[in-house]
Amino acid sequence: MNAYEILGLAANASAEEIRIAYLNKVKEWPPDRSPEKFEEIRDAYDELSDPRKRAKAMFLDTTFTAPLVSLIDSLPVRRAFTGPKLWHEVLKAK
Amino acid sequence: MSQKFKAHVLPNAAPVSNGNSAAMETSIRQLLANGNSKAALESAKQFHKTEHSLASEVLLLEAYKARIQTLLDQNLASEAKALIQLVQERFPARKEQLTDIGAVASARSGELSDLVQPLNDPELSAERRAAIEQILQTQLADLQALADCQALPAEHSLRQAAAALERAFQAVTSGPVSDEQIALPEVSHRSPLASWKWLIRAIAALYRGEDAACRESLTFIKAESVPARLGPAMQAILGAVTDIAALKPHERTLVSTVSLNLLDLRGALQQLDEAFIRDEDERIFKAVRNAVRECQRSAPDRLPLLKQIIDVRGGESGLDGARLIASMEGAPRRDAAYFRMYARQLETAGGDPEDLAEACEMWEAFRKAAISEGLFTGHSVELAVLYLHMAGNLAQMPAKMLREFQRDGNLNTWATDRSQGDDRYYLHPEKLYARACLIDRDSEAFSQWLNWAKGQTITEAENVAKQWHKARPGDIEPLLHLMKQAEKRNAFPSALAYLEKAERIDAVDSVVRAARWRLLTAAALRHLQQKKPHLALQKLTEMAALPQSQQGNRPGFLAAFRVLICSSLADKDAANEASREAERLLGGLTAILLIFTIATTAKRDELAAVPPPKALKDKDREAIPAAFASVLTIAKDAGIKKIGLASEYFDETQKQLPRAAGKLDLEQLRALGEIGGWAGYPKIAWAASTEGLKRPNAPEAFFLMVRARALKAEFEDRKIVLAAAAVELARFQGDAEALNKAVEFLREFSGDDTPTLTLTLEQARAVVVKESAYPDLPGFFTPVPDYSDLFPADALCQCANCRRKRGESASGPFEDIPDSFDFAEGDEDANEDQDLFPDFGFDESEMRKMFKQGLPKGTPPEMANKLFEIMKQSILTGESPEKLLAELLGPPDRGAKKQKKKLWGKK
Repeated sequence: MNAYEILGLAANASAEEIRIAYLNKVKEWPPDRSPEKFEEIRDAYDELSDPRKRAKAMFLDTTFTAPLVSLIDSLPVRRAFTGPKLWHEVLKAK
Repeated sequence: MSQKFKAHVLPNAAPVSNGNSAAMETSIRQLLANGNSKAALESAKQFHKTEHSLASEVLLLEAYKARIQTLLDQNLASEAKALIQLVQERFPARKEQLTDIGAVASARSGELSDLVQPLNDPELSAERRAAIEQILQTQLADLQALADCQALPAEHSLRQAAAALERAFQAVTSGPVSDEQIALPEVSHRSPLASWKWLIRAIAALYRGEDAACRESLTFIKAESVPARLGPAMQAILGAVTDIAALKPHERTLVSTVSLNLLDLRGALQQLDEAFIRDEDERIFKAVRNAVRECQRSAPDRLPLLKQIIDVRGGESGLDGARLIASMEGAPRRDAAYFRMYARQLETAGGDPEDLAEACEMWEAFRKAAISEGLFTGHSVELAVLYLHMAGNLAQMPAKMLREFQRDGNLNTWATDRSQGDDRYYLHPEKLYARACLIDRDSEAFSQWLNWAKGQTITEAENVAKQWHKARPGDIEPLLHLMKQAEKRNAFPSALAYLEKAERIDAVDSVVRAARWRLLTAAALRHLQQKKPHLALQKLTEMAALPQSQQGNRPGFLAAFRVLICSSLADKDAANEASREAERLLGGLTAILLIFTIATTAKRDELAAVPPPKALKDKDREAIPAAFASVLTIAKDAGIKKIGLASEYFDETQKQLPRAAGKLDLEQLRALGEIGGWAGYPKIAWAASTEGLKRPNAPEAFFLMVRARALKAEFEDRKIVLAAAAVELARFQGDAEALNKAVEFLREFSGDDTPTLTLTLEQARAVVVKESAYPDLPGFFTPVPDYSDLFPADALCQCANCRRKRGESASGPFEDIPDSFDFAEGDEDANEDQDLFPDFGFDESEMRKMFKQGLPKGTPPEMANKLFEIMKQSILTGESPEKLLAELLGPPDRGAKKQKKKLWGKK
């Protein structure tokens, strides 16, 4: 995951959005409970809060060379709405 | 037993025996216990027909109830209800016993009127109410039936709750729902339908991707309730149950339908990756079509990015663009992300330097798109970083190629619209750097610009430094650059002016402090050279006033310098006094050599003289290496780069050093190691390094590099080993200067950034130990350490010559030497093909030529023949032939040495 993904931000996030996302993530993953995750979040924030580092990371990005399956690895969970019929059938069967 | 009876007895029914009714009863109960309700019922009917007792009737009723339950379990509620009615008609006295199961059957079949009717009675006992609610909780799967049940008034809480739950259930399984839709205030937590409320919340959370909330809601569902039946299927959707095959068919259908399957897309993407790796066009096009189709179907939001990646990779693979777009069913979106991807692909392909120019063109297209998309503004720091990045690309291109691109490069039109008069600035590093520094006046940006300009012209670099100084007056780097440039062209007043500015910024900077001493020395030398001793004296006075003038040997240097200035002023007394002072501070020989060195540097040789080494006493000659090293150290400190001492002193140092090395300190050994390297006296460097490596806390990396440079070119493997060991030791000792030199040295062999050999610290230390055991600069017949274990086996040249240079054994070197040789002039060709030293890889003619070059001119052929015999014997007995020859003939002259190196240097 890149820094944007770690903080759950869009690539064109503003400095304020980056700061807020960082604070929210720190609340979610406090250093005393999740030191490794916190470190990851802090590194991501360090990168994104410095415009030069952020720009360098953007210009050196090579994620497009990763295996194509990585495109769907980070997809959120997807579930299909089926209507009530299939659910009812399970409820009625004992 | 009659034939009729037999015909009606089911195969599994227990046989009736008139004399054994107890056994029959037991058999029926066993069937019931085993869940075989059908056979049990048939047997119970026969048993009751035979017995007609109260006990048989009770048993028959039990069998009926078991059968009804089985029918209910099989979702055959109507059949169960019909059987209940039959039993109630046949045994009206026992109607009450079937009330409960009849209610269950009603609840299951959706015919709830009889079940819920009693709830209208305000006098209904709490137990009966609880029993009805229990049945609703555990058996009611059809909420709509309860909602529509006319036996209860429309405003009854159960009907209201069932209707609300049914609406919510329909909604939550059909699409996204709001929190209000699933709030369900109509359903209290005490309601027999409360578990439905939790089920609906769990389903809502499931579809929202809030898996934790879903799991939590599931825990509130009562295990005996109807909603609990969805538990296994929902756990499977959540991923908690991995063995889908263990689920019931309806559950499997639900799980597979709800869980969107990305397996097909995953497979298609993997196939596309493989196709690109195999680089087979037809395969790629087919895989592209498949991947795009699957992506469109199961992850349409990823399709734009997938198309962009395919297009970029297709470009790298040289695919037909039009066909690729057709395979993708449309061109990719040409946005900032696309151009960035394209540019990075060109940069990282690593093939053609031309790609870097094209990458810059793509970055320009990216810049325009990014500004348009609001990724950054036209004056943001990001843009400055982009300009630096582009300039860095161009800096890697061969200058000639870049000029051609700038002149008439036939690039695409993404970035440039010439009809609009676009400037192709993105192909000009100087313009890119200037733009970057204009936007972001950052030291790093200027530093990159200056580093690039240093590779161009002196004027360009100075201009950049001046712009940097103007933009950031507080930065010391541009001033130091300008100072050095001024110093190089002997413009010392300008250099000192820049230095003064630098001192105002950071007077304690080590470069600044060293520069003041160096510049004043240079200025004084120049005045002395220009025969302006009074001005030189002024500078010397300034130097003496500096706090750093008291460091190390600087007082001695000042005294030595003063000797020359006073001599130039014809002030003999002062000169003598200064001379005595210099001798006192430095020692007699060092003072004499230093005065001479200063005089020759100032091109005033007439002011000083040194006696030839031969004129010195033995004791003084032995002191030459130490004095020589001290002079080198002092001269280096003062910025004097040329040592004007006669070659006799180098020769004498070389001669005396092996004996005197033990008396020298590390600084002196370092100085001799350096001078020996660049002055063409490798033996001095070698001897200094041998002694240096013995010293505790020695800069081992430095001395290994001294050895690496002192070795002849043909000892390439050993040079690489020494440099590789130096890299590791320098890294460990934090010696950045030695590290840089070693890395640069290794690059000369590898030709790129990849080191030719990497050693561990332990291996590097072992190299130091091995080197210490070889004090002599190696020649062709000198034993050398074996480093073959440090190289990968397939990286080694296995020719005898190379094996020997690595120190590997070359057995039987003289096995095929003929008994006699003829070294007569003119006979060389006759022996040309004779393999004199087969295992050494040398042929006879080479040996003969080499040997003759080492002989003094006019040596008679007979004597040459004899001498060669002696050399051969010396090799066979393990003596060093070089040493032997040197003893016989004296040291070879320089010209012969160079020629020999050339001849022997070839593989």
